[in-house]
Amino acid sequence: MKKECVAMLLAGGQGSRLYALTSHVAKPAVPFGGKFRIIDFPLSNCVNSGIDTVGVLTQYRPLELNSYIGSGQPWDLDRSDGGVHILPPYMREGDQGTWYKGTANAIYQNIGFLDMYDPEYVVILSGDHIYKMDYSKMVEHHKQVDAACTISVLEVTMEEATRFGIMNVDENDIVYEFEEKPPQPKSNLASMGIYVFTWSKLREYLIADEADPNSSNDFGKNIIPNMLCAGEKLAAYRFHGYWKDVGTIDSLWDANMDMLAPRTSIDLYDPSWPIYARTPIKPPHFIGPNGVVSHSLVTGGSEVYGTVENSILFHSVTVEEGAQVRYSILMPGVTVRAGAKIEYAIIAENAVVEQNACVGTPPDPSNPDWGVAVVAGGVTVGEQAVVSAHAMVRENVKGGEQV
Amino acid sequence: MNDLHGIIFAYRSHRNLAELTRHRNTCSVPFAGRHRLIDFMLSNMVNAGVTDIGLIVHENYQSLLDHVGSGKDWDLSRKHGGLRILPPFSTAERKQGEYRGTMEALIGVSSYLKKIRQEYVVMAWGDMALNLSIEDVFRQHLASGSDITVVCSHTHWGVPQECQYVHTDASGRVCDMSVRPTTEPDAPECLDMFIISKQILLELVEDCAAHDQYSFSLGALLPRINTLNIRPYFYSGYVGRVQSVKDYFQRSADLLRPEVRQDLFDPASPVRAKDRSDPSTYYGPSSRAVSSLIADGCVIEGEVRESILFPGVVVEKGAIVSNCVLMQGTVVGRDSELSHVITDKGVHIGQHRTLHGHANYPVAITKNAEV
Repeated sequence: MKKECVAMLLAGGQGSRLYALTSHVAKPAVPFGGKFRIIDFPLSNCVNSGIDTVGVLTQYRPLELNSYIGSGQPWDLDRSDGGVHILPPYMREGDQGTWYKGTANAIYQNIGFLDMYDPEYVVILSGDHIYKMDYSKMVEHHKQVDAACTISVLEVTMEEATRFGIMNVDENDIVYEFEEKPPQPKSNLASMGIYVFTWSKLREYLIADEADPNSSNDFGKNIIPNMLCAGEKLAAYRFHGYWKDVGTIDSLWDANMDMLAPRTSIDLYDPSWPIYARTPIKPPHFIGPNGVVSHSLVTGGSEVYGTVENSILFHSVTVEEGAQVRYSILMPGVTVRAGAKIEYAIIAENAVVEQNACVGTPPDPSNPDWGVAVVAGGVTVGEQAVVSAHAMVRENVKGGEQV
Repeated sequence: MNDLHGIIFAYRSHRNLAELTRHRNTCSVPFAGRHRLIDFMLSNMVNAGVTDIGLIVHENYQSLLDHVGSGKDWDLSRKHGGLRILPPFSTAERKQGEYRGTMEALIGVSSYLKKIRQEYVVMAWGDMALNLSIEDVFRQHLASGSDITVVCSHTHWGVPQECQYVHTDASGRVCDMSVRPTTEPDAPECLDMFIISKQILLELVEDCAAHDQYSFSLGALLPRINTLNIRPYFYSGYVGRVQSVKDYFQRSADLLRPEVRQDLFDPASPVRAKDRSDPSTYYGPSSRAVSSLIADGCVIEGEVRESILFPGVVVEKGAIVSNCVLMQGTVVGRDSELSHVITDKGVHIGQHRTLHGHANYPVAITKNAEV
């Protein structure tokens, strides 16, 4: 059935800069903020914006992401007309077909899906940003200025602008130039990787782009510049509020910590814009007789007998008596045994930190190599072992060992 | 477990639960932070592979309906079978009022019982907190060749005036039952949970209807105690019976003991609940929480001791909450002090308020009250 608006969520990226955290899952499936996974944010935004048809384009390690999304029921996206669709790359007659070569190619390969719903507008989203946004307002803006493409932009500092795709706009916020990571930026309007296209226009450009053998089939590198060149109307849509790309260990750690300060980031408790998640059934968490928890998030099924400060505990985490957890993120099922100490670290799902082991250290200005320590999912850090700052642990660490 | 059908009695309201059952029946009383009592029996059945469950309701079941919905959170929203809510038929013959006994409830839904597609039926109350393997009970039922298996416990969990007890002979057959005696007998407590074949159940229902017998134990079982082969199944785990405000308070306090939680919340047989999208609970910089069970979505800036907090509870700075059960959405204002208090959903305690109950007489505050 015809839909006015369909969202396409690019969730195929490996997220290689998250290293050990994405060795088993695609980036959008990485746990975030105590209760969520990264993809919950764009998915919930879609539902809250009234978009009921969402294509999720998957490619890298899709198993966990696919089972997480399932029927789409936690997001009310289990619809008889529309709903959430997982869209992997596929083979075509005559042994044709490829992996998704780029963001634009991923949409190109699913022209058939979009034609099925024959939408007026397509919203392109990516699965690695933490933010709340009403896409319907952006679509409304797109209609009002009668643009071929509307790009959501964030005002950043001139310094930061060198790391983003920058939109140079006229007085009506119509884009006349696009620069990818300019050394001398002319404006501070950074593209957030969120686009609204008039589908009939985008369809033309996708087909033309596919025919160009030199193209890298990317929205930022090819489609947007081509549309600009051809004189299409590209509008910038200014977004105000919290938005964070969580593509690196540092930014992921930062964004998680931001959730502890809802006034300056995202209010996860706001009932008017809920973020939905598929969560397992767990009893409430328990704080033991000597447990100390301060400035932290704690989730169902966890048991805290030790000290937890400035940290985020996902579901089913155990912190034993005398263990200390500070400025860290403990993903679902992590166990921290008695006397262990975890500081400035991300411990992935079901990892175990044995008695008196140490993971990470507080920031040390004299150490230029300092950074957040990461322990991969399922790994055991043995008794008395020491995992130094900025370490990336992918395999078991024997007792007493230092890495 | 394709040949077992579930029937859950979900119609009674214990008068002694006072404020807690003013807006709901006992089955939908909130318990253990994120659950309603009904979650336990529904989950027991679903965990045993039961796919078709009839829920017998009578009055005050709005909140129950709201909680179970289509049954999808228990995987009971099905094209074929699944959850069926069975409200009473309004007949001119009988005055309306709570069913006088479970047999009357069964007679009330006899047309549903006739259409059951399974060979056996498990019947239980929906207002007890326990996590038992119905699969085990069923296995024993089939192996023993008995007509009826009744689930019992050697430990006594309820007051005698509200309970039934079974007496067995040397061969292990049930030879007598004490129904609501005045003093506690030296016999296993019956957990009012039965496995019976559909055929025998229909015969009993038919016969009791003809003789206006409304009690399952007194009307159906006791007169046939020598002809029917009734055998007990002994369950050794924890049973949370909630029959009064004091019971409710004590059963809640039981949950603070790790062994009770391990028993009730065995990860191998999870207790399912209505899915809510609550974020994690936030603890402020000056908060303090000790020996407490706290659900998701709370904001704790004050102090919480030996208490149970449901989703979305707010404890403001300087507030001290000890030995309390605070249901969903309760707000405890700045510098208020609460001990031995049960607050129902949405209770708002202002600033600088002091409320003290006692372990023997906890203060229960009604839904949405402002203090």
